[in-house]
Amino acid sequence: MTNRRDELAAVPDVISTEGDEDFSAFATSRWPGLVRLAFGLTGDRWLAEDMAQTALARAYVAWRRVSRADDPDAYLRRILVNASHRRFRRHRVVEQPGDPPETPVEGPADLVGERTALLAALRQLPPRQREVIVLRYWADLTDAQIAATLGCSPGTVRSQLSRALAKLRESPVLAEGDDA
Amino acid sequence: MTATEERQLRRALHGTLQSLSPPSVPLEAIARRGKVIRRRRAGAAVGAFALAGIVAVTSLTLRGSQLPAVPPAAPVVTAGPDGAFASGTADGHPWRLAVQNIADPGYRCLPAIVINGTDADPVYPAPGNAASVALGQAVRGMAFAFIQLPAGVGGVIVNGDQNVPAVIVNACGYRYHLVGFSYSLTGPLRITLAKPYPGWPADVFVPTLTTPGGSTQAEGLWINTYTYTAPGVTTSATLASGTLPGGQGWIIKLQFGPGGDCYEFAQNSLGSAQMGYCGPVSTPAGPETIMALPLGFGAPGVGATGYAVPVSPGTARVRAVLDNGSSVLATPRIVDGRRYVAFVVPSSRSLHRLIWLDAGGRVMASTTAVPQYGYTQFQP
Repeated sequence: MTNRRDELAAVPDVISTEGDEDFSAFATSRWPGLVRLAFGLTGDRWLAEDMAQTALARAYVAWRRVSRADDPDAYLRRILVNASHRRFRRHRVVEQPGDPPETPVEGPADLVGERTALLAALRQLPPRQREVIVLRYWADLTDAQIAATLGCSPGTVRSQLSRALAKLRESPVLAEGDDA
Repeated sequence: MTATEERQLRRALHGTLQSLSPPSVPLEAIARRGKVIRRRRAGAAVGAFALAGIVAVTSLTLRGSQLPAVPPAAPVVTAGPDGAFASGTADGHPWRLAVQNIADPGYRCLPAIVINGTDADPVYPAPGNAASVALGQAVRGMAFAFIQLPAGVGGVIVNGDQNVPAVIVNACGYRYHLVGFSYSLTGPLRITLAKPYPGWPADVFVPTLTTPGGSTQAEGLWINTYTYTAPGVTTSATLASGTLPGGQGWIIKLQFGPGGDCYEFAQNSLGSAQMGYCGPVSTPAGPETIMALPLGFGAPGVGATGYAVPVSPGTARVRAVLDNGSSVLATPRIVDGRRYVAFVVPSSRSLHRLIWLDAGGRVMASTTAVPQYGYTQFQP
């Protein structure tokens, strides 16, 4: 049972016009990447899917403008990050990573352990630093693109990136890199 | 940062995020949500018309009442220390909505809206948050709802003829403007603001339950909407993890927030099998929700059912007795001031009985009414 489904049940849900068909193709192609980006930003799969839905819904509302934009993906990323910011502003979000899973972390070959360690390390970062890391090393954006997405200066991006990397050096993920 | 470190980080991040397998794109849900946004903007652009109401009662039952709408009067009522903001009688059964602290004694205050002292819905200062709940057999044919309003709106008008004033409730250091009411599951429900508010349409959207009496699984589970604000999750935590006899790792996670007590039972690797379900939020003195999450682990015959139970403050252990007489002893984990136990039962076995134990090992309660799927509620 999902509350979101009930929340919107009373609203017509027909995608029929030509613009809607274009949007459907756009949404279908962007959905996996958006969910993964949101998962990187939040570490929470359910919330990631919800944020990706929010971003696409807002793109749907402004589809004429989005479809004519030079870079519709930049528009989507900006909405997604803004949704993430609203989440932190409106609600007191308490992330408690909890006990680590019992699956042992045995080294680079243990991908599960590595991924768990990476997610745990990302969760320890402040939201802005986490965003910079994910946008740089997952979305492969430049400083200028990240700055445009986050609404800050490229200098701020670099400083946040530097601080984030300093913290990540303490994680097992990068520690393994030292041995490589 | 060395080039090696950057490569390592990039590789790990790509591996982690690519391992996630999103479900198919929910186009209809996206379209519906987009249309809600569009409708909201349209409503704001046109401007809401002022409607009348009165502030005279803090409780009412919609069914059978034919009071005419009259102009609203300020100020709104302030709730007493018990946090009650609406009450009445529905189909012969008394009901009461209140804001209550649902954290265990001694922990940080955790406000929630409760119906008759049970089935909590965590609440935060977020005007636009609205929810409804049905109690099934306890109150047949009726449901209950609340709406958080912005300050100054004064109240709402239900179905054009019922004026429900906003009540100010102070709880856990926050101030809420709340309206609460009951409604018939068989009739329409239209909620109109008593006064227009910038950015809000005249008609407020409340998620309604349409099945008379509600389905068994929906009893006590609040259905929330955050039409005018973003949804939120307050806590995400791992309740338990381990390894099945066949070597498969498992993990049970909790997401506690406006959606209720939501659990995820998953094979312990990203992107692999998982199952999630939400259940009613238990209050310290109310019934305890026993959640069962059956899950196949991919290989034929390999699977398990994850169980999660929010337990009362005095619970020190929970013993899960299986059908072959063996048992699992689970220790509560405290998350955000609430206690939970979680454990798994391999698919070759089934759960027979749950026993609540206090710190001295004494039996506090016991039940064999345990679900194999979904949830049941049990009053220890």
